[in-house]
Amino acid sequence: MFENGMFFALVGASIATALAGFGSAKGVGGAAQASMGVLSEDSSKFGKMLVLTLLPGTQGLYGFIVGFLILVNCGVLGGAVPTVAQGLAFLGASLAIGIGGMVSGFAQGKAAVSGIAMSAKDDRNFSKAMVSVTLVEIYALLSFIVSLLVVISVPALSI
Amino acid sequence: MKRVRIVALREDRKRLLEHLQDSALIQIKKVKKNEKGFSNVDVTSQMQVFERNVALTEQALKILDDYSREKKSMLSSFYGRKEIDPDDIGVIASKSGEIIEICRKINDLNKTIIENSSEQVRISTSLSQLEVWKNLDIPINTNDTKSTAVFIGSLPMKYTETELSQKITSENPKLEFEFEIQHTEDTMTCIVLFAPVSQKTMAEDVLRNLGFSKPMTLTAHTPKVKTERLKAKSKKLFEESEKAKENIISFASRRDEIKVTQDYFRIRADKYNVINELEHTRHVFVINGYIPEEDLDKLEALCNRVSTCYIESEDADEEAPVKLKNNRFSAPAQGILTMYAAPSHADVDPTPLLAFFFYFFFGMMFSDAGYGLLMVIAIGFVLKIFKPDDNMRRNLKLFQYCGISTFIWGLIFGSIFGDAPAVLYNHFTGANITMTDILPWPTLDPQKDALMLMIISIAFGLVHILVGMGCKFYICLKQKDYGGAFLDTGLWMLLLLGLAVLAVGIAVGPLFLYIGAGIAIACAVGLVLTQGRNKKGFGKVIGGLASLYDITSYISDLLSYSRLLALGLTTGVMAQVFNMLATMFGTNVAGSIIMVIILIIGHAINIGLNALGSYVHTMRLQYVEMFSKFYEGGGEEFEPFSLKSKYIKIKEDK
Repeated sequence: MFENGMFFALVGASIATALAGFGSAKGVGGAAQASMGVLSEDSSKFGKMLVLTLLPGTQGLYGFIVGFLILVNCGVLGGAVPTVAQGLAFLGASLAIGIGGMVSGFAQGKAAVSGIAMSAKDDRNFSKAMVSVTLVEIYALLSFIVSLLVVISVPALSI
Repeated sequence: MKRVRIVALREDRKRLLEHLQDSALIQIKKVKKNEKGFSNVDVTSQMQVFERNVALTEQALKILDDYSREKKSMLSSFYGRKEIDPDDIGVIASKSGEIIEICRKINDLNKTIIENSSEQVRISTSLSQLEVWKNLDIPINTNDTKSTAVFIGSLPMKYTETELSQKITSENPKLEFEFEIQHTEDTMTCIVLFAPVSQKTMAEDVLRNLGFSKPMTLTAHTPKVKTERLKAKSKKLFEESEKAKENIISFASRRDEIKVTQDYFRIRADKYNVINELEHTRHVFVINGYIPEEDLDKLEALCNRVSTCYIESEDADEEAPVKLKNNRFSAPAQGILTMYAAPSHADVDPTPLLAFFFYFFFGMMFSDAGYGLLMVIAIGFVLKIFKPDDNMRRNLKLFQYCGISTFIWGLIFGSIFGDAPAVLYNHFTGANITMTDILPWPTLDPQKDALMLMIISIAFGLVHILVGMGCKFYICLKQKDYGGAFLDTGLWMLLLLGLAVLAVGIAVGPLFLYIGAGIAIACAVGLVLTQGRNKKGFGKVIGGLASLYDITSYISDLLSYSRLLALGLTTGVMAQVFNMLATMFGTNVAGSIIMVIILIIGHAINIGLNALGSYVHTMRLQYVEMFSKFYEGGGEEFEPFSLKSKYIKIKEDK
């Protein structure tokens, strides 16, 4: 099992995809509940509600991309089979977007729920709500960039 | 913007206001206090009539929609308002009475339906109450006979005949009685009890102790007859409602006329609303308002043509509204600006800059030549076919320009539907080429050169922020606030530039390093010396030093631009994932069909998710990173007195 780093790399891919996806799922789920409450009153707000509901969904995407890039680079969908050290590097890299994405997904979901309540009261609040909810996203993005930079540079490392 | 004052004869009021409303030149604004000798004319009652009519038609349209839903396609929101010839307004006006009558009828019919259905509910409750008495062959409110008292009602427990007779006997052994159980269930026994009239009070006492109560529905008919009657009535109500529904639906064909009439009354209500704001004397009236400077001649020509009047104008005051003037390139981004806040008088109109950076950053984030081309073509098609209204047209144009930028960035990043061309070529020929082999120009692959692209992103961010600060610099100069311009804004701009040169120096060589460090340190010293200038005593030193702490906010602003890289990557990688999935099923017929389906659905998902992401994040970069540097906002947008209609657009006279 530990002759090469395949196992660690795959654990890393799973962590990145699953944890970040968990964060987004929870965030989008909460936001969707709130927006359906609004839509039951006024279905013409669907477009705006959809935008606010989808905002916490990006973390899952970032996680998926990191997971996918690991698969591409670790011999499953292409690339060479990694060494143990490289596998551990993949695993380490995945923690950033996994944990960062999960926690920021929760937080952004809560912000999105408030944003939905705010723009339900007055349509003009929509852009403010949207920008405020996006403020959370930068931390997921930073996690994503760190994970990404590591993942794409690991195959070239001779460790 | 100019402030104008039009004085005209009262007899021309209607004509003049109509023409002003048509031309949408002037924003009428009430003056706070009437001058001596002037008074307001109260036309509220006329206005209310029009507004009531608008409400009535709105109600009628809603009812129509409930009973026969208007067929709308997914794309119908793109459609512009229906155009109407100005000559048709007379026809609309003459028909309006009839249409209002129809609306009234629709409302009445709807009222009947609602009343009937509540009546039906009442009937069905009565029916369920009568159900337990269905075997009773005398009316429920049967009175006592000469010798026998009759009690019809229910007891709140389940009894059998023997149980009940024992119970009554134990309550009062002297009572003579006879009873019949009509119906029993878990918590109720319905009985008819006879007792001699002489023992009536005794019987009443016994029954009260047992919890006897009379039925709710009293009737002089036997329950069976009553049930039948109620059923017949309910059926009649149902038929009446159905007929009313049919009647309402038969008016569905008048829907368009109702809409037009609604707009007609809406416009008239608007006009009367304006009359409330005007000052009158016995013979003349005065319109106060704001008008963009360049339209002043047009207004004068118009007023003199339709009325006898006198016009004076002066430079607008602080409270004047702001009209955004933008060319074809920047006008689409106006909506983004006003969503944040309309510019105040202190601001420069940042729309052109906003527009440029919006297109630029959106393209960089969405960054796919295929998607960009799709956006341009699809929006061009919608604009051509649906002829949307101004607002919708501007929004669509915004995305069309963003599409062009997306296309260009896609070519730079070497991404056309991700790596679809290369993947498909490999899939069907078994070759092994990449996008770099296909594209004849050098590309910047975000996956391979991520670090490079990150640096580029932050460099763009620096430019963006510096442009924002440049605006602040310019505004300060314009207001003759030289301290604010050179010391607050200028020094920070130089400091940031110095740091940028320093960063270049790290990569290139010591010369830049020293120059950059020199500039940065000089500026930092300058800031420490000047930033405390408005404070007293010891605060001068602390204020200066503390201002250096702002560097953290600049750094976090700059890092924020790394999203340009992250979102650019997301689009590309997602597209690649779908391309890869699509080509997993072999080259035979079934595999190809699956491939096409996955490609279409996959790329549609990718476009939806990433276009949304790019839009939101571009907006954030503008609002949070750039506008925070200089933009005050809080102005009022110029909103001329015009034909504000919901469904129709009156063609301009040419």
